[in-house]
Amino acid sequence: MAHLADGTALPGKLFVVEGIDGSGKSTQLDLLRKWLIAKGYCVAFSEWNSSPLVRDTIKRGKKRKILTPTTFSLLHAADFIHRMEQQMIPALKAGAIVLADRYIYTAFARDVARGVDPQWVRELYSLAVVPTQALYFRVPLEESLRRIMLGRPKLKYYEAGLDVGLSEDPNESYQLFQGRILREYDRLADEYGLVTIDAALPIVRQQEMVRGIVKPHLEGALKAEANPWRHVLDTEQLAGRYLGNATPEAN
Amino acid sequence: MSKVRFYGKGLANVTVTEVPGKLIVLEGPDGVGRSTQIALLREWLEANGYAVFSSGLRRSELASVGIAEAKEGHTLGRTTTAIFYAADLADRLEREILPALRAGFIVLTDRYFYSLIARSVVRGVDEHWIRSLLGFALVPDAVFYLRSDVEHLLPRVLATRAFDYWESGMDFMGRADYYESFVTYQRRMLDEFDALGREFGFCDIDATQPVHQVFRALREGVVEVVSALKVS
Repeated sequence: MAHLADGTALPGKLFVVEGIDGSGKSTQLDLLRKWLIAKGYCVAFSEWNSSPLVRDTIKRGKKRKILTPTTFSLLHAADFIHRMEQQMIPALKAGAIVLADRYIYTAFARDVARGVDPQWVRELYSLAVVPTQALYFRVPLEESLRRIMLGRPKLKYYEAGLDVGLSEDPNESYQLFQGRILREYDRLADEYGLVTIDAALPIVRQQEMVRGIVKPHLEGALKAEANPWRHVLDTEQLAGRYLGNATPEAN
Repeated sequence: MSKVRFYGKGLANVTVTEVPGKLIVLEGPDGVGRSTQIALLREWLEANGYAVFSSGLRRSELASVGIAEAKEGHTLGRTTTAIFYAADLADRLEREILPALRAGFIVLTDRYFYSLIARSVVRGVDEHWIRSLLGFALVPDAVFYLRSDVEHLLPRVLATRAFDYWESGMDFMGRADYYESFVTYQRRMLDEFDALGREFGFCDIDATQPVHQVFRALREGVVEVVSALKVS
């Protein structure tokens, strides 16, 4: 069960993944999502900083480097509440499984690492739905840095935490900033009972653990047939030439 | 040949009285799978040698961009929106649908006249006014209505996309809750479609069945309409 902030139980299930950059949480959530869909469940997905309206404002603020820790925190909260009201709560009321890539713990860890008051940011997000289960993918700092630096030559200003003023050098700043976030996450895992998964383990092994954690909660979750048109293509010998525009999930 | 008839005053300067093509409308609530069925139907018809033109709400060159922008800003009132949708339909009728029908195409359209009436009436627009406004709409050769209920629509909508502001009637229902709003709005739309279906003789297709059964039922109905094209 997931719960509204006032304690009301919702029929759907909310699973959340958390962890620093390069922890592999999105990979794990994607594998979980595909598995749930293949099992016939109705799955809704929501990603941190993805609502179009707020995202553009955040993008503008980042580009012009005019975000402060407080406005950074507030805009992400606006994005979160919007997605919660529009995507997550309706789906949970209908009994669906909702998967969230990053949740309030990201704000708690990141904003506090930026110097925002921990109590204030918790208050800000006190309207949030209490998830069925939150998973914390814990990876040593060195390993996450190695993964991130592989495909990314240049760190962005806020990503590197250059606004915090820990160092002038982007790489050094990033390491110090991520280290702070990691320490906050470790604290949060205790405070909120996040299930910690060792993100240094092989991907397959982690996914086994993830599925093992999710499985006991699936009973009674809403079902939705994936690609229900497939049978028509077989029996009518059609290729589905025009399905691309018709169905977002066709591919 | 199909007689060219209109629901009201017709289109200015359109004098053609008969067309060789067939206008087939698919109606049904949001998330029922209209576009999937049209995609399948179009491919099947083409595979059987029929030329098909596919159309649908908000696809006109003239008005589609304007409607999209207005929806984004939530700026247009219900009456202005109704007129905008009417302009979209008129543009497609005059410059796409009628020419295609005259050339002997089967025109499949995803929603039509009836959807425009339903979405306006549910929002409190005067029914008489909207019908007279849309009097330029061509009477189609058949209307297939994919009948479903909110319980069947919900999982489809949730699995493919989030709740849409407009599909949830958030612009006028005055509720903060998307779920409640979606359910209530869609129920009202279904009631409206029921009334329209009785009046305009929709051919009902049970869309709570699996997709392949819906397709089979729909194809049967369409074949009946278009088979005349093979003999004459």
